[in-house]
Amino acid sequence: MGENRISRATLISCILFLSGFSLSAHAELYVTIVQGLAGEPAFGENFHSQSQTIADASASLTDAEKITFFNGENATRENLLSHFSELSNTMNEDDRAAVYLIGHGSFDGEEYKFNIPGLDLTTDDLLNIMDSFPGQNHFLLNTSSTSGALLEPLENDNRILITATRNGNEKNATFFGEYFVEALSSEDADLNKNNNISIEEAFAYAQRQVEEYFESQGQLATEHSEIAGNGAAQFTLARLSPLVISNENPRVAELQEQVLNIDRQIESLQLRRTELSNADYIEQLQALILQSARINEEIDQLTSE
Amino acid sequence: MKATLYKSINRLAPLVACSAILFAAHTQAKEHLLGALDNETLLNCDNLYWSGQSLDANACYLSIVRTVHPPEIQAEAMWALGDLYTADELLEQAAQLSPDNAMILVRTGELYNRTYQYQTAYNFFNQALTLEPDNAWAHVGAAEALSSGNNGEEITAHLQAVEMYFASPPGARLRAMIMSITSVMERDLYDQARESLDQAWELVEDEDLPHMQLNALEAALAFVTRRTYQVQTYIDEALNEAPVYGDAYAIPAYFASITRRYAEAGEFYQKAVEVEPHHWAAHLELGQNYLRLNQITEGIRHVETSYEGDGFNPKTLNMMRLLDTFTENFVDLTFPNPPAGDGIPKLVLRLDRNEVDVLSPYAQELAESSMAIFEERYNFPAKEPVIVEIFPNHEDFVVRSIGMPGVGILGVTFGYLFAMDSPTGHPNETYHWGTTLWHEMAHVYTVEATEHGVPRWYSEGISVYEEWNTGPIPGIKIPAYVLQFMAEDAFLPVAELDNGFMRPTYDEQVIVSYMQAGLIFQFISDEYGHDKIVDMLYLFVEGTDEVTAIETTLNISDREFDRHFKQYIDIQFGPLLNNLQIWQQDLQATAQAYGAGSWEETITAANRAIFTYPEYVEQDSPYIAKALAHAQLEQDELKFETLETFWHLGGYSARALKELADEYIARGQQTEAIAVFRDVHYADPFDEETHGKLGDLYIELDQPEAALQEYMVGLALNPLDQAAANYRVASAYKALNDPAQSMDYLMTALDIAPQYRPAQQLLLELSRAGN
Repeated sequence: MGENRISRATLISCILFLSGFSLSAHAELYVTIVQGLAGEPAFGENFHSQSQTIADASASLTDAEKITFFNGENATRENLLSHFSELSNTMNEDDRAAVYLIGHGSFDGEEYKFNIPGLDLTTDDLLNIMDSFPGQNHFLLNTSSTSGALLEPLENDNRILITATRNGNEKNATFFGEYFVEALSSEDADLNKNNNISIEEAFAYAQRQVEEYFESQGQLATEHSEIAGNGAAQFTLARLSPLVISNENPRVAELQEQVLNIDRQIESLQLRRTELSNADYIEQLQALILQSARINEEIDQLTSE
Repeated sequence: MKATLYKSINRLAPLVACSAILFAAHTQAKEHLLGALDNETLLNCDNLYWSGQSLDANACYLSIVRTVHPPEIQAEAMWALGDLYTADELLEQAAQLSPDNAMILVRTGELYNRTYQYQTAYNFFNQALTLEPDNAWAHVGAAEALSSGNNGEEITAHLQAVEMYFASPPGARLRAMIMSITSVMERDLYDQARESLDQAWELVEDEDLPHMQLNALEAALAFVTRRTYQVQTYIDEALNEAPVYGDAYAIPAYFASITRRYAEAGEFYQKAVEVEPHHWAAHLELGQNYLRLNQITEGIRHVETSYEGDGFNPKTLNMMRLLDTFTENFVDLTFPNPPAGDGIPKLVLRLDRNEVDVLSPYAQELAESSMAIFEERYNFPAKEPVIVEIFPNHEDFVVRSIGMPGVGILGVTFGYLFAMDSPTGHPNETYHWGTTLWHEMAHVYTVEATEHGVPRWYSEGISVYEEWNTGPIPGIKIPAYVLQFMAEDAFLPVAELDNGFMRPTYDEQVIVSYMQAGLIFQFISDEYGHDKIVDMLYLFVEGTDEVTAIETTLNISDREFDRHFKQYIDIQFGPLLNNLQIWQQDLQATAQAYGAGSWEETITAANRAIFTYPEYVEQDSPYIAKALAHAQLEQDELKFETLETFWHLGGYSARALKELADEYIARGQQTEAIAVFRDVHYADPFDEETHGKLGDLYIELDQPEAALQEYMVGLALNPLDQAAANYRVASAYKALNDPAQSMDYLMTALDIAPQYRPAQQLLLELSRAGN
């Protein structure tokens, strides 16, 4: 196989990435990762590793300069508020923000705080940060214990919020974050086989893994993750394979375009599902996928020659 | 502070242990005062009641309530009329008016006994005894209250107090004697029961006391000693004296039930409620009995009747709760389906809706294969369908079995029907549900082949012996702590082995007895042949006792048998038992080294433990730690060999077996991998990954039907990756030349993941094949 040849998987990943990612042509993804206080060295290593994996996964989707990672002494409230203020000024209506809070939290019965050096990030801080972004459907992940306390104050159809616990009373250190981060590079989490990991897929994967962990230990679960807001299925967090686009074979490019077009038709059909009888839906879906399958087969043949 | 009767029976449940059945079952019906009170008006009403003039009795009690009488007498009338709350209030008033009257406290205690609030009842009896330390009625009442728990010594002390005190009223003496006789009969000490009954008859005749309770006990004794021709005579005697005395039937019914003769128990209970329609405890027992006999509708009807009449009984409430879920959540699968020529299925699996798709293939396979094996080994074809109920909720299973929660049992066989825990009822690795099913199925054959005449230890012993010899994980498996008891020579003489199950004297004795019983049959099989076990079994049909059965079949006395068995144990286990301490130390050292991450040390200690007792494959087996240590040291071949040996010896840790199966797959040993995965299912069938891998292996070996079963189970487990699970089913259907089914599942997969390339490829293939 020559160097200019593109593997089938890579081609498909290219096509599907373009199809699945919901940002418009000029939209940008801004990722902020905050590694909070660890307390114990073991937690520190774990949080750092998770944060690094998120940064790597995000790099498959956006430029390095749009990924910001705060940890250690840098992760102060002042620095974070300044960063988010700057970010909200930089972003436009089409852009999306993904904010990851990796660490410990506390809830005193009234207010949730994310633990960082110096003053903690408060619930109001987080609310203001998320409200400050222009546009909508921004994403906040909080993997800390008691993070469920954020649900009520931050919940909003126009933002996607994931917490590791369902309320502020689940105070044990959580496992959810570890599994959520694992999902970003796991084929097992790619439930619709489109080579991308969406928020919805990563959440489903992590939630199942946490359940299985507690079951396997014969313990009652001490954490129950929650997701709120719309658009989690359309928000991609990571791409599993590197994106390589070939411009060498015009026929392949033409076929790719056809597949893309069919994928859009499938998406459209799926949105209209309730308007059709099941038999009609399946018949139309089958016809489209068959068409796509034939084209993919031709692409395979062309790229393996 | 005065206690108050309450109907929130669920609060009572934890206080009441199973042994409450003994006396509580009889207290629902009105009990004879036997001279406890001497109010003439009240006794007249009672006489009307016992002579069968219920309407007149009712009017008589009402007249007491409506006219001027002391509150304690009005309380008795309200009690007789069924208004227990008012009876309680009146007794409270009476106690305030006469704080030194011990009998008011005694009767209050009896009222609380009647409502299953045994601790409160006991407190009242104690208060009475504080006022009058020799009050025999208080001693008897206290003994009854204590019988709800495991309080043997205290009960004996109270009953002895009644016997020893010269002035104990004859009626109280009779009640104490009846309690003792019942207890003796429960322990199968029928000769002793006979002697005690004779003494009781003397008392009754000398003191001109009612005979009905003794006649009921005589009927029960005649039943359990197989003098069935005398049973009805005694019952008739009791009914001649008191036509509404439902216990004339309910007492023999109770003994039929505890000796597992459920059909006869049901007949007795049925007659009990015909004689005394308000005998709510008999309704409950009848309902439970119907449920054991798989007559569900009738069972529910009587449980509901019991609940409507007596909302105090925690057993009734537990059963009502169970029945709510039982009728809604369980489904029946019959096999073969459709049935053979006679139209009657051989097997019914009654499974929870949420588990039916996962458990049914394996439960069917185990049940059918065990039935075929036991039919041949015990020369007994099942005469009715065998019904297997598997409960995901352990407490539901326990309530279904014995009426009360909080008991650590795994399975219970009633005859052709048995109930057991699902693996989801035991979320840890120690439960092997396949073995439990096998164990219970063996009971079906030993119980039914002997028409329910087999002694408990004999049936348990055969079930354990069959686990070891024909079960899904063969091999003699003895828990480590039982070995310690074996080393201390704790086994019972064979003639007393039933006591180890029925009346254990230490916590571990039931399990020790299981192991002893299993080893006894291993011994008989090895020394005399399996046929002797079968020959002996059939002697129990005629009521032969185990000592005679041994003498008849093996031509040795039970004492010689015990001596030979001990020699057998010495030969088989002597070297191990002599080195037990060393083995235990090595086992402990293995665990410690593993915990400390000292892998070489783990392996060395494990090897020593394995050398002493190579067959030990329980969950703390040294093989597991050794394999894990080899893995840490990247000694893959040694890890594989260790796991393989563990499996060959009957090791059943699902995690270890899954590791081994993966090793076999990596080595291309698909047949062995399949065998291991199948064993995993009998320990943990709820692991979707295992089903997927096993299905893939079947596909590789061109066994699409088996693959389809595994893929369908995997799908039933609601996997995260629905697209892949549906695609697998579609591919199996395609291999089975069923394009329509294949397309159905395939389109489900593609609807979830339109760009799923293997599924797209299969769509192309189906499309081209169709054109």
